[in-house]
Amino acid sequence: MIAIGLEGSANKLGVGVISHPAPGKPAQVLSNIRHTFVTPPGEGFLPKDTAKHHRTWVVRLVKEAMTEAGVSINDIDCICYTKGPGMGAPLQSVAVAARMLSLLWQKELVGVNHCVGHIEMGREITGADNPVVLYVSGGNTQVIAYAEQRYRIFGEALDIAVGNCLDRFARTLEISNDPAPGYNIEQLAKKGRALLDLPYAVKGMDCSFSGILASIDILAAELKANPEQRDSITGEVITPADLCFSLQETVFAMLVEITERAMAHVGSNQVLIVGGVGCNERLQDMMGIMARDRGGSVFGMDERFAIDNGIMIAHAGLEAYKTGFTTPLEESTCTQRFRTDEVFVRWRD
Amino acid sequence: MATQIDPEFSCSLTIDLPLPTARLASAALQALRVDKELSPLVSRSFSTISAPSSHDSGDSSPMGSSQEKILRTEYKATTNRMLRVAVNGFMESLSVVLGVMDELDVDILGVEDPKE
Repeated sequence: MIAIGLEGSANKLGVGVISHPAPGKPAQVLSNIRHTFVTPPGEGFLPKDTAKHHRTWVVRLVKEAMTEAGVSINDIDCICYTKGPGMGAPLQSVAVAARMLSLLWQKELVGVNHCVGHIEMGREITGADNPVVLYVSGGNTQVIAYAEQRYRIFGEALDIAVGNCLDRFARTLEISNDPAPGYNIEQLAKKGRALLDLPYAVKGMDCSFSGILASIDILAAELKANPEQRDSITGEVITPADLCFSLQETVFAMLVEITERAMAHVGSNQVLIVGGVGCNERLQDMMGIMARDRGGSVFGMDERFAIDNGIMIAHAGLEAYKTGFTTPLEESTCTQRFRTDEVFVRWRD
Repeated sequence: MATQIDPEFSCSLTIDLPLPTARLASAALQALRVDKELSPLVSRSFSTISAPSSHDSGDSSPMGSSQEKILRTEYKATTNRMLRVAVNGFMESLSVVLGVMDELDVDILGVEDPKE
């Protein structure tokens, strides 16, 4: 069976075509096209502009995805789209396109939960059997474990997502958002040496990032006012690289802690990292150290599947469709809030 | 069809969009009406209508002229500003609808296997 998936909950617009050839056989990615709305340094992306970007590119991306996949409309079984969670206007702009395809091509619609899309793609690509999932992106930070046909949230960020914290600090430093602010923070952090003092805000199974963001913003302002400031321990001049390094080390250690807590609770030793922040090699390394200490392993993906994409929506949507799930046209709305555990995972035991 | 002036929603606008076929008009209507208007100060309704018959008999086929190929959108709002904002939003969604019709319909992409 073949599905096309459309994703646009944040600033990435993705269209993908996936094939599920037969039960037990691995899924085949027939095409996975993405276009990102990149804002100038120092700016974030606002819903209105992001929606405009998606409207401008969606027809072109669908066309490219179908051409690259080499499939015809007849071959498509269903049209999957991101129902939520995410930003309202961008989600709606993509949903309108999905509805039109459904009506003109006479195919059923499948509304997909964005978080479940990430998880299912991660499971498919890495082959991880039943891991604890760390879902970390600009919009979401959740520790998830599967139990009785739902993806249960064991812990999460209480205020802002970890990726949001990193992205907003990139704005403070006015570094480029191309290809992604988090990527550029990561590169800068590699040159950092001094571990500066930042709050560490793990609260049981949950964590909080807004206070850390406020603190690092204050440090950045102090550094800008006094560029000759030296670190009290190393004696070296503090650089923006040191700020990035300190921020990453702090927030990633927090993520490792709450992931480990969930692993201990659930009795699992596999970790699957999904979401855009999962591309970060330092996070993967730190998580790997913890997992190996517990006799386990970390599963991750490259940017094709870790960053928001259409193929994960097609994949999760097709899994649901095969169990008989469809979204009637009148119900093909979008919602900014859509909890991961609201989805009944009928396609797993 | 004159829009009744509603004292509550005194600012109104009717947009008639002619499309090539009734199928396209119906698809546009169904796709656009799913999302509710964001503001309670705006009310909106969609319908498809046929072209007003003003031709002499025998010129165009009765089948063609009685088909509902026009998408009629009626907007009513409490203020002109709300009306403008709502209609702008409609236009933006419409651009996606028209783009899909224009470049992704079955006769353009092809229903059959593209590989011979």
